[in-house]
Amino acid sequence: MSLPSGTRNYTYAQDMAILRTKTHWALFAGFLVLLLAAPLYLGGYWLGVMNLIGITLIAATGLNLLIGYCGQLSIGHAGFIAVGAYTSAVLTNRFELPFLVGLLCAGLMAGLIGIIFGLPSVRVKGFYLAITTIAAQFIIIWVINHWSFTGGFVGIKVPYASIAGFEFRSEASQFYLIMSITALGTFFAKNLARTKVGRAFIAVRDNDLSAEVMGINLLYYKLLAFFIGCFMAGIAGSLLAHWIGYLNAEQFSLTESILYIGMIIIGGLGTAIGPIFGVVFIRLLQQVLTVILVPFLESTVTALPSGFATGVTPMLFGLVIVLFLILEPRGLAHRWALFKSAYRLWPFSY
Amino acid sequence: MSELLQYIITGLSVGMVYALIALGFALIWKSSSVANLALGQIVLISSWFTYAMLVQASLPVWLAFPLVILFALGLGWTIERFALRPLIAQPILALITVTLGIGYFIEGVVTFIWPWSVDALPRLFPRDVVHIGPAVISQEYLWVVGICLVVFVLLTLFFRYHRMGIAMRATADDQRAVQACGIPVTAVFSRSWMFACVVAAIGGILIASIGGITQGLVETGLKAFSVVILGGLDSFLGAIIAGPIIGLCESLGGGYLTPHLWPGIKDIIPFIIIIIVMVIKPYGLFGEERIERI
Amino acid sequence: MKNKRLLIVTAVTCLALMLAVLPAISACGPKEPTLKIGIMTPSTGPAAEKGAPMGHANLDCIQYINDELGGVGGYKIEAVWLDSKYDANQVVTNVKKFMDKDCLLFGTASSKEMSAAMEIANRAEFPGLVCFNAPVLHRPPQHIYGQMTDYGDDWTAFARYYMENIWKGPGKPKMALHLLNNTTGYGARDAAKAAADELGIDIISVDEHKADTTSEMDSLTRIKASNPDVLYISSTPAPTALIIKNAVDLGLYPGITIGLGHASITKALVDIAGADVVEGVYGVFPTVNWGDNVPGMAKMTEYCQKLHPDDYGNMDYITSWAQSLIMAEIVRLAVTNVGYEVLDKGGVEAWRAVEKYGIQKLNYDVEGLHGPVSYTPGDNRLAKSLRIFQIQKGAIAPVTDWIEAPLVKYEEFDWFGK
Repeated sequence: MSLPSGTRNYTYAQDMAILRTKTHWALFAGFLVLLLAAPLYLGGYWLGVMNLIGITLIAATGLNLLIGYCGQLSIGHAGFIAVGAYTSAVLTNRFELPFLVGLLCAGLMAGLIGIIFGLPSVRVKGFYLAITTIAAQFIIIWVINHWSFTGGFVGIKVPYASIAGFEFRSEASQFYLIMSITALGTFFAKNLARTKVGRAFIAVRDNDLSAEVMGINLLYYKLLAFFIGCFMAGIAGSLLAHWIGYLNAEQFSLTESILYIGMIIIGGLGTAIGPIFGVVFIRLLQQVLTVILVPFLESTVTALPSGFATGVTPMLFGLVIVLFLILEPRGLAHRWALFKSAYRLWPFSY
Repeated sequence: MSELLQYIITGLSVGMVYALIALGFALIWKSSSVANLALGQIVLISSWFTYAMLVQASLPVWLAFPLVILFALGLGWTIERFALRPLIAQPILALITVTLGIGYFIEGVVTFIWPWSVDALPRLFPRDVVHIGPAVISQEYLWVVGICLVVFVLLTLFFRYHRMGIAMRATADDQRAVQACGIPVTAVFSRSWMFACVVAAIGGILIASIGGITQGLVETGLKAFSVVILGGLDSFLGAIIAGPIIGLCESLGGGYLTPHLWPGIKDIIPFIIIIIVMVIKPYGLFGEERIERI
Repeated sequence: MKNKRLLIVTAVTCLALMLAVLPAISACGPKEPTLKIGIMTPSTGPAAEKGAPMGHANLDCIQYINDELGGVGGYKIEAVWLDSKYDANQVVTNVKKFMDKDCLLFGTASSKEMSAAMEIANRAEFPGLVCFNAPVLHRPPQHIYGQMTDYGDDWTAFARYYMENIWKGPGKPKMALHLLNNTTGYGARDAAKAAADELGIDIISVDEHKADTTSEMDSLTRIKASNPDVLYISSTPAPTALIIKNAVDLGLYPGITIGLGHASITKALVDIAGADVVEGVYGVFPTVNWGDNVPGMAKMTEYCQKLHPDDYGNMDYITSWAQSLIMAEIVRLAVTNVGYEVLDKGGVEAWRAVEKYGIQKLNYDVEGLHGPVSYTPGDNRLAKSLRIFQIQKGAIAPVTDWIEAPLVKYEEFDWFGK
């Protein structure tokens, strides 16, 4: 169905392969070259945007595993990103541990906190669970702000990321670091969904009672989903911390958490490619609106009412989200799948 | 002892403010299971509209308020008709995300029309305080409590005795069965959004008259979520009782714990309560426990 | 179905057009030599109440300098203005945009924006200027400069004024702090921690509130029970108004002295709380007031009323107008001292020149709009003086002349940032 006609699978390995045809390989190689050569043709600003997209993508992929595959609604993702960011910051700044240790501990710490706040998921689901995670968001940020260890309201400085003596100082080097971890994360998520664990997640999402009857350990898999989802949030947080260089708990707002949900829904829940679409779409839209459109309006059209240039950003942003959902409620990934099959079946689409 | 009384009175009155906004949230949840993330922005734009009527157009209060109510009705109708109606029968998360988009849009409209983004409503209620024993309460808060109770009683009567109200409750119970009975489900959704916006607008006017119109109103709207969860998402009684309970916990907890803990402890007390309630009584104090079948 | 597809096609085409055409349009403006400065304000989002008028002021001022003064040093100033939405991620990409566009320096309005931007700027040696200053931004001093005194200095100045002019009793006065839960609030606490003992003030309690608080009766009840002599609030106008209203309801005020940090004491405060409620409240503010007789007032009033009449009377407008004047003066100094060629090269070389020959040579009266700005080695606050104001019959009137705020070396305290 999802393969061109005439492509046959003779072995299990072929059946499971992500890239199946020569066209796939060619397109993939082309994409990789284009991506890895980005520092050659992109300026510091656009590289920065790419880095932001990469970091966001790691967190969104984790959230997609949690919401899209396992069906556990979480509106506290920015809180878990903050846990990761601060763990990494405290370890590398106060204890001067290497970056890789900080990165790993950030993931583990966020995962553990995720398990703790995921515990109510055993008893509640849907929006009730979502409220619990909102509570997690507020409690986490509050603790960070008041605990002297994290720098409190003053914030905390984070050194450059470094591996084996090499410091990731330039935007381009950070780009390669972030992109490789993003690629790893996406690959991991794609494959996890096809294993026993992933199928158990989907069973829990579709009907947790039936899943339990089938012998799936609900407690274990729900908490595992929370752990993995928040682990990836923690990794993203750590990268974010080293990329920005200075942390302040105000950076991890509830709005950001809600936006993460928006991203994976616009991209397409429960698909591996969905978060990529959603994150790229939202982050690019934000940048295009604020960095290109608004200054352009402000500088060229002088007779505007005073609130126009600033008000137009959230207005367009909201409008585009609403329109996209009305036109494509199942997300961009669904549209992408339709496009692919239309391309494959052309001209005999019936 | 006088402090205790003051804490209790403060907690109860602030809790009623939360309860009022929570009512607006529960209305929509009750009929369509949509969590309205744009609630805060609806509160914001309604208070700005009130400002426009009372200050910019300098209309008298008796004319301005009906206009605000009309505006809220129109807002609710518009949101439902153009953003949510096309999404009926789509995944519920898509509907929730649409409300997120609506929120951004409204925020943009507010910035567009009122770019100076902070202002004060004229004083609607007398400033004098009322003494209750050694404690005091400002009349502003008393009015909030009174209006909140009136709205609550009206809504309860409506849901109990009016045909539309009963249809709304039925829709919440089982959309398909209701449709089969010939009740126009779309009209039910539309009404619930209109009512919710009116309730949010009333909440907005009351809060803005106390603390001014700022972007902070958006956050206040979000805080009401915690009230709803404690009461149970689909229960008015829950919202009206849970509001004061949350308010009390904040005020008492803030009052007695702050000297011993970090300052600002009161801000997370509602959220700690949420976690505890989730573990002990997952569907809230008054929410309906659903028995699931496979 | 067909209709739907059509809609999608239009939506996608619109987006693609926006992506493709806009950079092209913005790239092909007139190519006369200009001096670029980056300006970022939180014009939308949670801090819009301050950010929006500040953004207007920044741009109005640049327009004034270009139109009436013909730019600085013979060159027009090109302002690259970006909205930060009060969002850290946007701040980061904005700073990268400024550096990409070879801005000579950049300015931000709020301390939160700068806290997200400063490490990137410090790493790149990209000089920045922040309006609302917090101790953490300039201690220890690096490449970020504070346009004015910080939230800590507000407290110190008020505390000194209080001890010298208001406090009459024997012993130490008891002070309660009520702080917004961010750097605005806690900057004042840091100063109190550093200097309260020295000034002979007893800090009896520290309370915290959120920007969206609906009642502070509980915290004020507790404060009232401890019988304070003075209450200091470091916050923004709306919550400050609410706190003062509640204090009046409780009978706590009048009866004690209330002092405010400079983010609180604006026209919005008087409007929200009501003039009768805030009568007699003291506050610290580092700029002049609207209508004061200073050289820069006429032009600022003219431009404000011409371009953004809604903002007239807003104190934040003055602050940002002054910020733009200072940035223009910095690039003027830089361009006269090292020449346009060096600045035109962009990158670290230009930034070092701006810092060394612009910012550090600064000696400018800001047309009287706030205390004079100059650079003292080791102190990255450019203006160091502020005035105490009091709300009298609904008007915010100065009660002192300019007071110099001493430098506090916060990084030498072991509790700072802990």
